[in-house]
Amino acid sequence: MALADFIQQLDDISSAAKAAFDAAADSDSIDVARIDFLGAKNGKLKAAQKGLGSVDKADKPEAGKRFNEVKNQVEAAFQAASDRVASGGAGGAGKSAEIFDPTLPGKRPRLGHLHPITQTIDELKDIMGRLGFSVADGPEIEDERHNFEALNIPADHPARDPLENFYLATAQKSQAGPLLLRSQTSTVQIRVMEETPPPVRIISLGRVYRPDTADATHYPMFHQIEGLLVDTKVTMADLKSVLRLFATSYLGHDVHVRFRPSFFPFTEPSVEADMSWNDNWIEFGGAGMVDPNVLSAVGYDPEEVSGFAFGLGIERLCMRRHNITDIRDLYKNDVRFLHQF
Amino acid sequence: MIVSWNWLKDYVALDADPAEVELRLMMAGLNHEGTEKVGDDLAIDLEVTSNRPDCLGHIGVAREASVLFDAPLSVPKATPREGTASVSDLTKVRIDCPDLCYRYTARVIRGVKIGPSPDWLTNRLETIGIAAVSNVVDITNYVLMECGQPLHAFDLATLAGAEIIVRGATKGEQFVAIDHKTYELSSGTCVIADASRAVALGGVMGGEVTEVSDSTTDLLIESAEFAPVSIRSTARKLNLHSPSSYRFERGVDPEGVDWASRRCCELILDLAGGELAEGVIDVGRDRTAREPVVLHFSQLERILGINVAPEEVRRILAALGNTETATDSEKVQVTGPSWRRDLTREIDLIEEVARIHGYDQIPEDAAVPMCPSHRTDDDRVLAKVRNVLTGAGFDEALTASVVREAWSDAFSPWTDTAAIQSHTPTLKGADRLRRSLVPSLLGARRVNESVSNPTIELFETARIYLSSSNGLPREQRTLAISTGGDYGTLKGVIETLIKTLNPACHLDVQATRQAFLDADKSCELRLKDQLLGFLGEVTPAGLKAFKLRAQTTIAELSLETLGAIANLTPQHVDQNLFPATSRDLNLIVDEPLRWAELESTVWKSSGECLESVAYQDIYRDTKRDGDEKKRLLFSILLRSASGTLTNKEADKIRDAIVAACTQQHGAKLLG
Repeated sequence: MALADFIQQLDDISSAAKAAFDAAADSDSIDVARIDFLGAKNGKLKAAQKGLGSVDKADKPEAGKRFNEVKNQVEAAFQAASDRVASGGAGGAGKSAEIFDPTLPGKRPRLGHLHPITQTIDELKDIMGRLGFSVADGPEIEDERHNFEALNIPADHPARDPLENFYLATAQKSQAGPLLLRSQTSTVQIRVMEETPPPVRIISLGRVYRPDTADATHYPMFHQIEGLLVDTKVTMADLKSVLRLFATSYLGHDVHVRFRPSFFPFTEPSVEADMSWNDNWIEFGGAGMVDPNVLSAVGYDPEEVSGFAFGLGIERLCMRRHNITDIRDLYKNDVRFLHQF
Repeated sequence: MIVSWNWLKDYVALDADPAEVELRLMMAGLNHEGTEKVGDDLAIDLEVTSNRPDCLGHIGVAREASVLFDAPLSVPKATPREGTASVSDLTKVRIDCPDLCYRYTARVIRGVKIGPSPDWLTNRLETIGIAAVSNVVDITNYVLMECGQPLHAFDLATLAGAEIIVRGATKGEQFVAIDHKTYELSSGTCVIADASRAVALGGVMGGEVTEVSDSTTDLLIESAEFAPVSIRSTARKLNLHSPSSYRFERGVDPEGVDWASRRCCELILDLAGGELAEGVIDVGRDRTAREPVVLHFSQLERILGINVAPEEVRRILAALGNTETATDSEKVQVTGPSWRRDLTREIDLIEEVARIHGYDQIPEDAAVPMCPSHRTDDDRVLAKVRNVLTGAGFDEALTASVVREAWSDAFSPWTDTAAIQSHTPTLKGADRLRRSLVPSLLGARRVNESVSNPTIELFETARIYLSSSNGLPREQRTLAISTGGDYGTLKGVIETLIKTLNPACHLDVQATRQAFLDADKSCELRLKDQLLGFLGEVTPAGLKAFKLRAQTTIAELSLETLGAIANLTPQHVDQNLFPATSRDLNLIVDEPLRWAELESTVWKSSGECLESVAYQDIYRDTKRDGDEKKRLLFSILLRSASGTLTNKEADKIRDAIVAACTQQHGAKLLG
């Protein structure tokens, strides 16, 4: 036999033995492998040793040396396997029938989930933040000046009907007259503009309240996001462009925006903005150029500055995105519902 | 507003197919809601915004189409043939309430023959969903839907004294309407009366006694203008909403009142015969002349971001019915048409030009200047709070801001002042602005228990509403937590929260008494000298009140206080690289001794090398230690800034701690 063949035979035995001992999970299977490779009568090493005789005489010292190396390797693998089984997974010394089951579930930490409305709000804040809009906050309980008058909604406007609003019975009458739960987040625009000279570039978000009977698409409390940009030289082209950037960021691909004329007391021109989505136009929200009366009401000069504003319902965006069909599910707080998001 | 396609084409010749007309109308402000085929006609549903009552009639919609398609608009002249008898000899009209009724016109037709309307008329009414009644009634409805001006036909013979008095109702006055129901009126309601009683609710509904019947021969045709606010409140109070009240609420064309009357009479003469008395009775206030409005062409670019050619601007404004009174290269001056009382300012004209010229002309790729934005500290704190709580396994709930009285009263740790009430409840019975989020979270627990959810760990961040003696009420941003775990579990979460916001901050507790919280296992939480909030296990009575089965612990914290202590920009401190040594201590102490007191002694007596004190456990072995004794197990971690501590040095520190605890608290070292 050529030396190379003999060495090849030894190497094969070595790797097969290592694999067998490593795979052995208990002492019985180790024993099977021991007899197979190290058995005194029919072990594979014993058989190989017999082959030593047929190697050329000149190659014998080298062949013998290699044989001893491989024998040591196989014995070491046997020892390692025996030690492993004796100490490890078997749960103590001695023999055990227990087998580690790698398919058992891991120990999962319980993670809470943020409400889908919060997740939507965070995303909207994030997008608008990148477009340079900072978040402004304002009270949910408002006076008529901020909820109506400064927004160009006169006293005889139907939107001010007591039945269309949640007016409050406050013990002490506010100096600003009766109070109500705000019906829109535009109130924050007024408060910010009253306090800040232009330019103003803000979004306001939060709860708003309108008397609606709760059903699948209505709830007397919901969330709005409202954006406002006032500066010199702000045009409707800026409005359209910002809404397009907003919609593209939110939907993640190239979106177009179209305007349909509409009517809101606090903007003029007023439009409904639609965005193209999967070849359909879907309603995005109301928008427009800030009405000069609103600018005047906060002490801005409508000939010096102009601005745009837009507002959207957050529930609608959230429900459409997650395929939620009943708004009331958002406020039940069933943890199975919350854990979906 | 439902528009009949065939009818619309009476006023404007349209070559375009209906779909294109619908689209163009929508893109100019009349939102297309849908179209239905009715016979050989189409019923096109258009949404009309509240500023455009002129489009609540076919002529108004036709005018929009004529401007958009640049096709001429033709409106009937309405010139009924008059007879010889003078109307003023046949009836008289007086307005006693000029603030409720601005203008009242009456015409008289005698000798009509009531009967069915011809097919063309009934078909058109049917297309737009109005049932045919009789020729005279159908004609009043037809003219209403033609021009948007409501009309009423009285049976002249039934009007006592053959006269009309427009007046405010007396309180409690009874009125039998055309629907045969009796209504009790309140002052402020505008009634049309004859010499003896109310015969109609002005602009809202006719009366039973004076309605046109088959035997009617003489008619008084009313065409009037009523005050929108009065109409709205009457319609709402009596729940009587009609196409007429809808139009009066939005304001009718003051110049269209007489046209509608003439048009109505013209059609009655054609279809029901009779003779029209000469002249009209027209009482009420004078129409004020419209102020002209100037539009500077440069304003179009300033507001819209696009240029519109002056000729196009002038064409649009004229086609919409504005009268141009002056123009030069920079501006145009117009007077708005009577049916467009919303056109009073330059910006109103800009919007008109924009919507007709087309918003699709406005680009969507303008270079909006960049601008820095910043995250508010409130939002940064809130993000940390949410991270800690979701990491600790809590789900975020969102609950209603307004709650029922029972919930409002159940738990109010922040204030004793009564909750603010809303006049109308938001949801069933809920009319108290909440003073605590906790009852809402307990309500959410109940929802979850009812569907057998095994783990209910909830938090919410929202505002609570606290009355204030002046100005707006205080809205405190608040965090509430509810867990199925015990006091210690939730306290640990709060401690982790505090350590995340500011590791240097220490949480203190004080006794508190709160309804529905266990007297012992509850506390007021404090940071430095500020009130942070409340924590406690809910009592069995509390669980019962919220119909809860399983134990729960709640906490409510002020987000404002958390924000005040938050360190949003932590500063690096070099870490000591010498190894630490720990020692376990097991001290027998008196039962009343609190951990916080012992821990304080440990810190004070340990010198510079104490890095941390970790509470381990409490055991009680009364047999060996005696009654009212407990064993406090804790460990200390020691590290020196100047080198590795030897065992001897560490033992010395431990011994000093034990000595201090023995001296101050009578503690005894065990083992």
